Amino acid sequence: MFINGPLFWFLMGVVFLGVGAGFRAFAADRGWVLTWWKGLLALVWYAIFALTVFAFGTLVGENEAAAGLRFLAFGLFLCLVLGIVLWRLMGHTPAVDRRASSPGTPGGPAGP
Amino acid sequence: MSDDEKTGLSRRNFLMVTGLAGLAAQTGGLVAAGIRTGRDPRTFTGWESYNPGTQFFDRRRFEFDGPAYSPVGSVSRPGHRTDYVFGRVATFERAFARNPDWTLDDPIEGLGLPPDLEAFYREFPERLEWDFRTFSETIPNNRRDRREYGDHYRLAEAYAAGFEAHRALIPSPQSPPEVSDYLRPRGRGARIPEPVPFRSPELAAEFVKELAHRYGATLVGIARMNPDFLYSDGWRGCPPGHDFSRLPEHWEYAIVVGVPMEWDVVLASPHSSTSSDAYDRISTTAFRLEGCLKSLGYPVRTHSPDAGYDLIVPPLAVEAGLGELGRTGYCITPELGGNFRTAVLTTNLPMAVDRPIRFGVAEFCNKCKLCAEGCPSGAISFADSPDGMVIRGYEHWYINNGACYNYWRETMGPMGCRLCIATCPYSRKNSWLHSVARDLDARDPTGAVSSALLVMQERFFDAPDAEAYRRPPHGEFANYRPPPRFLDTERYLDIPVTRPGKGG
Repeated sequence: MFINGPLFWFLMGVVFLGVGAGFRAFAADRGWVLTWWKGLLALVWYAIFALTVFAFGTLVGENEAAAGLRFLAFGLFLCLVLGIVLWRLMGHTPAVDRRASSPGTPGGPAGP
Repeated sequence: MSDDEKTGLSRRNFLMVTGLAGLAAQTGGLVAAGIRTGRDPRTFTGWESYNPGTQFFDRRRFEFDGPAYSPVGSVSRPGHRTDYVFGRVATFERAFARNPDWTLDDPIEGLGLPPDLEAFYREFPERLEWDFRTFSETIPNNRRDRREYGDHYRLAEAYAAGFEAHRALIPSPQSPPEVSDYLRPRGRGARIPEPVPFRSPELAAEFVKELAHRYGATLVGIARMNPDFLYSDGWRGCPPGHDFSRLPEHWEYAIVVGVPMEWDVVLASPHSSTSSDAYDRISTTAFRLEGCLKSLGYPVRTHSPDAGYDLIVPPLAVEAGLGELGRTGYCITPELGGNFRTAVLTTNLPMAVDRPIRFGVAEFCNKCKLCAEGCPSGAISFADSPDGMVIRGYEHWYINNGACYNYWRETMGPMGCRLCIATCPYSRKNSWLHSVARDLDARDPTGAVSSALLVMQERFFDAPDAEAYRRPPHGEFANYRPPPRFLDTERYLDIPVTRPGKGG
């Protein structure tokens, strides 16, 4: 079977790389400075999201679709709350980068 | 003019669109993979795979020095005609057939019961009330219900009948243990050979477990035999006057084996479900193991659903490290919860015994009352703990087996109930979701995980009210879940069918 087979998960890995590249482009577009801990937090958030969706599918496969939907609603709500927190953290600029981007500071752009 | 301006799509925008499309693809892929995982036959954990990997839970860190059970009072052995519900109701049925006008208002002597059963009913009068109700009310009602709605369950009955047909092929001992256990199976009276020694008890246990799995057992454990768990009378093949006070010398060890009932069928309990699949499989497994050990010269008696029992299994399963006793009165295991059926082989082959385990069932059952809430007979206790429930000298959860059996006889289809198994949060397949929950719960000393899981079980999973499982007018013959498609009578059979209710 293709689904859940080795090729399927290989392709899922490739698609994941696309999602990661898209996220980096999105972060650059928003002007977010991506640090290692922001990347880690984003990864954790995505893992929670993926597990929620996967658990929904698993429960549907076990003929527990109603339970799956409730779990999905609960999980997506959790993702929404965590996502809002993550969004705010993403906009946070580390001190060293703030200095670097302040006019007149060493390494920063020249003042007027 | 740059490339971006030519295409109208910057590299950054392209990556963002790709990422968004990837996110959608991953979400769809995860749902599809999840559905496939939920349906995966490998999550059924059992007889299908025939390998030792089915007993996958690592018990070592949960083991403790037994025994799991110690008497807290005066010990008495269970009576085959009193405590054993099938023995009791069969005796009551015969007495009631001789005295069909007897009612609960009449003196009990009027039934002409054997003295031990009469004394039992005096000690537990509610059992007499339940057994009387079973034969005076429930069974006649059930006959009428089956005439009206029986066709709806034809395929479930036919499915069970296939396993039942095999029952006649499993022999039951025809002579006392000192004789029959030393005879070759189907050997026409031929005795077993001289025993072949094993290099060590550890290797003997390893061999027995390997073979038990290969013969079809999902679970296997070994315990020392405890005579307290033997019936005080009525052993198979024993004539009247047999001395039941003496434990047969060769019943030193108990090999406990178990297989699950099929998960989708057990969830269609009580009316479209059966236990016969697991009864048949575990009886066959035990019989194979008996044949193997006898061929090596060791006397064996098999206690199985098809061959019959001379002992009670749950305490031996607990001592053998298979699991813990739950509120439902039977053993709850890490792999299968309560969804398994057992057989025991008593033998004198020297084997290393297993240690009992604690993985949080006792604490979980104190909190969780789902089985009691879902039980249409009210046979399961709602107490907050089994403290003070002393039965025959041992403290454990009390089950009113008279009420339980009464509801059995109310059910449609192949009969029996199994709702306590279907509703138990431990009775879940071996998918990653439930395995993670099981592993986290067993390793959490605070009980927070079990509380969270219990909330999820109660909030996320639907279950009919206990009354809905009953016959009209109390209920509508509901099932816990709809039956699997292959048991859908209307899909396959060209006969008129009267639907009993919504959940049927």
